[in-house]
Amino acid sequence: MKTNQPTVFVVDDDPSVLKALARLLLSAGLNAVTFTSPNEFLENYDPHAAGCVVLDVSMPGLDGLQLQQALAALGDAAPVVFLTGHGDIPTSVKAMKEGAVDFLTKPVHEQDLIAAVHAAIEKDRLNRQARAELTGFLAGLATLTPREKEVLAHVVTGKLNKQIAADLGTVEKTIKVHRAHIMEKLHIRSLADLVRLTERSGIKFMPIEKSVKAERQR
Amino acid sequence: MLVSTSLTLALIHLFVWYKQPQQRVHLSFSIVAIAAAAVTFMELLAMHASSTDQMSLILRWAHLPILVFFVAIACFVYGFSVAGRLWLALTACALQALTLILGFTTGSNQFFSEVTALKHVTIFGGETISIPEGVLNPWYVVGPLGVLALIIYVLDASFSVWRHGTETDRRLALIISSGIVLFLLIAPIHAALVNMGIINSPYIVGFSFLPTIVAMSLELSNEVLHAAQLTHRLQASEAELRLSEQRMALAASAAELGLWEWDIARDEIWSTDKGRALFGIDAQECVSFERFLNTLYPEDREPVAQAVQKALEGGGDYESEYRIMLPDGKLRWIAARGGIDMPPGTALRMHGVTLDITRRKQAELEVERHRSELAHLSRVTLLGELSGSLAHELSQPLAAILSNAQAAQRFLAQGAAGLAEVRDILDDIVDEDKRAGEVIHRLRLLLKKGESRHQRLDINTAVREVLKLVRGDLLNHKITLKVDLAPQLPAVNGDTVQIQQVMLNLLINGCEAMADAKPTNRRLRIRSLHAGGVVRISVADQGRGIAAGDLEKIFEPFFTTKTQGMGMGLAICRTIITAHGGQLWAEGNNDRGTSFHFTLPVVSGTYS
Repeated sequence: MKTNQPTVFVVDDDPSVLKALARLLLSAGLNAVTFTSPNEFLENYDPHAAGCVVLDVSMPGLDGLQLQQALAALGDAAPVVFLTGHGDIPTSVKAMKEGAVDFLTKPVHEQDLIAAVHAAIEKDRLNRQARAELTGFLAGLATLTPREKEVLAHVVTGKLNKQIAADLGTVEKTIKVHRAHIMEKLHIRSLADLVRLTERSGIKFMPIEKSVKAERQR
Repeated sequence: MLVSTSLTLALIHLFVWYKQPQQRVHLSFSIVAIAAAAVTFMELLAMHASSTDQMSLILRWAHLPILVFFVAIACFVYGFSVAGRLWLALTACALQALTLILGFTTGSNQFFSEVTALKHVTIFGGETISIPEGVLNPWYVVGPLGVLALIIYVLDASFSVWRHGTETDRRLALIISSGIVLFLLIAPIHAALVNMGIINSPYIVGFSFLPTIVAMSLELSNEVLHAAQLTHRLQASEAELRLSEQRMALAASAAELGLWEWDIARDEIWSTDKGRALFGIDAQECVSFERFLNTLYPEDREPVAQAVQKALEGGGDYESEYRIMLPDGKLRWIAARGGIDMPPGTALRMHGVTLDITRRKQAELEVERHRSELAHLSRVTLLGELSGSLAHELSQPLAAILSNAQAAQRFLAQGAAGLAEVRDILDDIVDEDKRAGEVIHRLRLLLKKGESRHQRLDINTAVREVLKLVRGDLLNHKITLKVDLAPQLPAVNGDTVQIQQVMLNLLINGCEAMADAKPTNRRLRIRSLHAGGVVRISVADQGRGIAAGDLEKIFEPFFTTKTQGMGMGLAICRTIITAHGGQLWAEGNNDRGTSFHFTLPVVSGTYS
């Protein structure tokens, strides 16, 4: 396994199908690791490895959907592509709701599978990117001074520097300096990114009347 | 008068003997009577003898009929009783023969050395007769000794009869032997007394034997009468037999039975007209066993020949059902039963009946056809219920094939494929194709509509094949399967498809019974075991169970506990198992759920 290349984890209780799927993925230049039982997969799964998971729905022990939930419980779940011998609507709906990338019926066509796997890998890449971004944001957040945090809380509500200065009882120029420090410490270039990441980080700031009004205006 | 009585009786018995030559006792009796008559005649002559020489001569010659009489008595007793020590009889006859010879060689006769005078005595009726007087012959004692031997022989013979004979034989022995012995005692003693001059009376040897002769004759006549009665009864029973044969023939023809008898040594089969008509054989044609076999439907010849051979060698009865091919090409079903009348291996004849069972067979086949159609219908329904599982079983190999093939295409297009890799892929494709083919083959067998075919089968293999079909269904129902098959089960006889149908039904029922159960409780256990001449298959679920009162009702047609379903599945299963000679039943488990068991009789031998 090349460290940089994403890995496709394939789980199917049927060894022949498993072998064929691995070959097909290999032919598409993808790196596949196969498991014949859900438990074996869970024991060996490395959440840090980039890639996605291809799951058979009907398996003894844990079935595909249960395995999907078990993966989700581990946190930072890899995207899942489902394969099934007979796709029934309730199962597929449930799978998609749980965040499956695709729900394919066996025998599966190469394009469909490879496209789904690529989509899943892309999703994983984006997920990982976002997670990394967030991690950096949170680390930067920890370095902010209390005053800076106060300013940040006002900034993300969309207030102008002049309004923030009025609220905090200082001058616009001071706010501008704080703001520049915040952007620098959090490695963020635009106000949009700042707002997005703050929301994603789930950090709540004390609500302020005026800021509520400002939100309404927005 | 005495002479004529004796002679008359002698003639009567001579006549009887002439009519029935095997009855030698009558001949002996005739000779006894004739000899007695001759003795009486000689005694009459002696009474009227006029000189001592004449008296001597008469007495000497009188011993000749006495000897004949002795021999005849001995023969009579022997012929009558077929008992006693023969040497006693021979001794008696020899002593008497010696007496006769002594009469000619010593003295003037057997009684006297010399007759010195004639006494003239007047007897009742006023007639004057002559009695001899003289010196007794020193060899006189030989005669009475012979008499004594004869008495012993007669007593001995009658004693044996008394001990071993029937009631009638005993009575005869008693009367005849006591008559003879009485006479044999009286006659010589009286003669001796006369000879010694103690009493003055004529010789009464012949006379004293008369009552005995009459008694013997009466008894013999009884025998004759008895024989005549027997003959009459025999004739009556022959008439009865003829009547009974007529009744039998009537019954056989009314029941459309053909009677037959096979003379094995001559290899000829006799048969009634009805029997011949059944086989389409002319009334005149001579039928051998080979000819009979050739009328049979070719497939049935060997089994019939074997059944006949078995009856001949192993003894007991012959029974078989076979088809015969009629000249117009139609088949006729025949049931035949027969037997041998001798110990096995020595039988000369075999006889029995044949019956036209075509109509019964057709009805049976019709019933069988209906059952098979119903079973087929139920099977198709069953497979409909299994469609999910079957799709899974088929899609797996198809998925493998497609992915393998497309992987190979890609490798080839990229020019990156090694020959070995492509070969591996192709091998896998072939294997998967076979796997899909097997699923389809099993399906086709189950879906096929055809008459049931019984054959030896290994129940474990049949069970495993069914389990392959329901695997997907079990997965969908999240059921854990525990399979516990006894190794080395003996073979059973049956229709694989129908047995598998029963298995399928029980498995699907088990799955459905556990639909509401917690996934951890959804366990289905399959077992096979061999006990007491049957193989038993059990399917135990952990479902909600069946009320004790319904355990038998579930096998009734149209009884169902499911929301969907005709309620025919188990009824058909039971019909199938019963037709296989087995049993199908249900019982509640101790903990939870229901167990279904079915048995199939073991054929023989064991699959390894």
